[in-house]
Amino acid sequence: MVETFHNLLLGFTVALQPQVLIYAFIGCIVGTLVGMLPGVGPLAGISMLLPATFGLDPIIAMVLLAGVYYGAMYGGSTTSILIRLPGEAASVMTCIDGYAMTQRGRAGPALAIAAIGSFIAGTLGVIGLMLLAPTLANFALRFGPPEYAALLLLGLLMLAYMTGGSMPKTLAMAGLGLLLGMIGIDAMSGYTRFSFDVVELADGIGIVPVAVGLFGISEILLTASQALPELPKNPALRELMPSGEELRRSIGPIARGSLLGFMIGIIPGSAHIISSFVSYGIERRISKTPERFGNGAIEGVAGPESANNAAATGAFIPMMALGIPTSPVTAVMIAAVMVHGISPGPMLIAEQPNLFWGFVASMYVGNVVLLILNLPMVGLFVSLLRIPYAYLYPCILAFCILGCYSVSNSVVDVWIMLAMGAVGYTLRKLNFDLAPVALGLVLAPMLELSLRQSLAMSAGHYAIFLERPIAATMLGLGSIMLLFSLKPFFSKAHSDWRAKVGLDEVN
Amino acid sequence: MEAENASDSGRKLRSDQVSGLMLCALAVYVWWMNRAYPVGTLSEPGPGYVPLLLAIFMAVMGLLVIVCGGKSVPLAQLQWGEAGRAAALLMACGVAAFALERLGYRITMAAMLIFFLGVLERRKPVMVALVGVGFAFISYYIFATLLRVPLPVSPWGV
Repeated sequence: MVETFHNLLLGFTVALQPQVLIYAFIGCIVGTLVGMLPGVGPLAGISMLLPATFGLDPIIAMVLLAGVYYGAMYGGSTTSILIRLPGEAASVMTCIDGYAMTQRGRAGPALAIAAIGSFIAGTLGVIGLMLLAPTLANFALRFGPPEYAALLLLGLLMLAYMTGGSMPKTLAMAGLGLLLGMIGIDAMSGYTRFSFDVVELADGIGIVPVAVGLFGISEILLTASQALPELPKNPALRELMPSGEELRRSIGPIARGSLLGFMIGIIPGSAHIISSFVSYGIERRISKTPERFGNGAIEGVAGPESANNAAATGAFIPMMALGIPTSPVTAVMIAAVMVHGISPGPMLIAEQPNLFWGFVASMYVGNVVLLILNLPMVGLFVSLLRIPYAYLYPCILAFCILGCYSVSNSVVDVWIMLAMGAVGYTLRKLNFDLAPVALGLVLAPMLELSLRQSLAMSAGHYAIFLERPIAATMLGLGSIMLLFSLKPFFSKAHSDWRAKVGLDEVN
Repeated sequence: MEAENASDSGRKLRSDQVSGLMLCALAVYVWWMNRAYPVGTLSEPGPGYVPLLLAIFMAVMGLLVIVCGGKSVPLAQLQWGEAGRAAALLMACGVAAFALERLGYRITMAAMLIFFLGVLERRKPVMVALVGVGFAFISYYIFATLLRVPLPVSPWGV
């Protein structure tokens, strides 16, 4: 504990340097704007900024991109509450009761509780990250290829189970992502696979064009012809104060949302999205007056907002400790530090204490910056939404092209982005979840390498996964989830976990 | 009569059944392409090993999606109202991608934005010109000059 405290002090000496502070501030502002604009989620925002971080110090690059990430979590809640438009997917649940509160003239307290809940959850999440990541990194030193292969498979199965829709469709999307990850030079044999004689494809398909295409472009293709709803009057600073009753009602959901979000955040997948859904469902389930949900219950804002921020922080644990991205966002961030010759993984914390602890400390700073920024400046941020969407979406498209091109100065990346935009549009029309595609693409090289290494180690016996306790436990957990998801095939009750926590009616 | 039957079966076809068929077709395509790479043995898997596993996996998932897709939305009921505009947007972006390294970032982006705002959105010409040219030059200044991100320049130096 004393050692952790000393390390944290070291982190603060890094994070409180004026240059780092300025970049944390810029990241938070850009993130808030990114979170508010429909079509530009945190992933597209981070991807666009990625090339600009290549010339920066690695810690500054991480601080900037992390600022964008959790800034987007905050920003998304503002539009959800004021105009029922989730700037990014994790804020969907906040729309329900947040907007209902706005209609009842309680937009100010809803915004304040969202900001306070996000701040508390973000801070608790950072404490969890600080305590858990070094322990997990030490544990991960025992991992060999079979354990990594089992962990990655468990992550994909867990994502498929938790997304709650059709498991075959979700797994098929993970498979599609893994197939995309097969494109390029095979690391073990040197063969170039599925490159169609395009030189640029020999390096494989990058996460940035795929993610920007699937999430950013497809969203614009679906919404370009729609107009933004009319904005309500911006709440004045004095109108933001929640009543005593609202504060009292919010304490439990914030605490539960923080804990739940943090735990879900560690699991691979779109944790911040899933956590807000689960949190909303749980709050409604345990409420003595569930009928208030959907009509402006403050718990429906406090829980999901806390959960998605805690999950955003929790997602950094496997990234830092294991070097495994649990979401497309953390994958892009890993790419950002790898450009500087740093590989996240079990050795990172020991070899780069400045980077890890500086990053942890900068997240505390970032949370304070966001709390200070968000409430007083909410009117300013919302003014951006007064720009007609007809002007916004062409600029967003231009930014997407700019961001994808500049990652590796290749037009091929722009073509991939556009193709993925068309694929994403079609898949969304057919009701497929796109997050597993991005996650599959990110995990593909690691999964393939560890699977083939495991088979080589065991002279071709798949039993190696059952003989090693850690790998066997992970696969056992994955199998249990697979069996749970098969339940609807055999029982007449076709209800998934969303229905069980009470989300069937709101969806 | 035959045409009526065909259109009737088209109406009955469910979206998940079409999705499943697409997944199966993709699996077959991957399997076909994967013949070029050695699969290896279990103790020494080659570059074609994992793609083959994935092709089999996709085919199985495709079949499951078809089997479970009986209650999904009928294909004919899917709304494609914005598809025309989406296609126009994608084509314009494609033209921009083609022109990017030939005409340079600023000219390409200005032209693309002018097309979107002037032709697709029919906004006022002054605003179209201001936003189009302003965005292209300001974003170039921020990214290329301040952040030193290399962006393509036209043969005329713009």
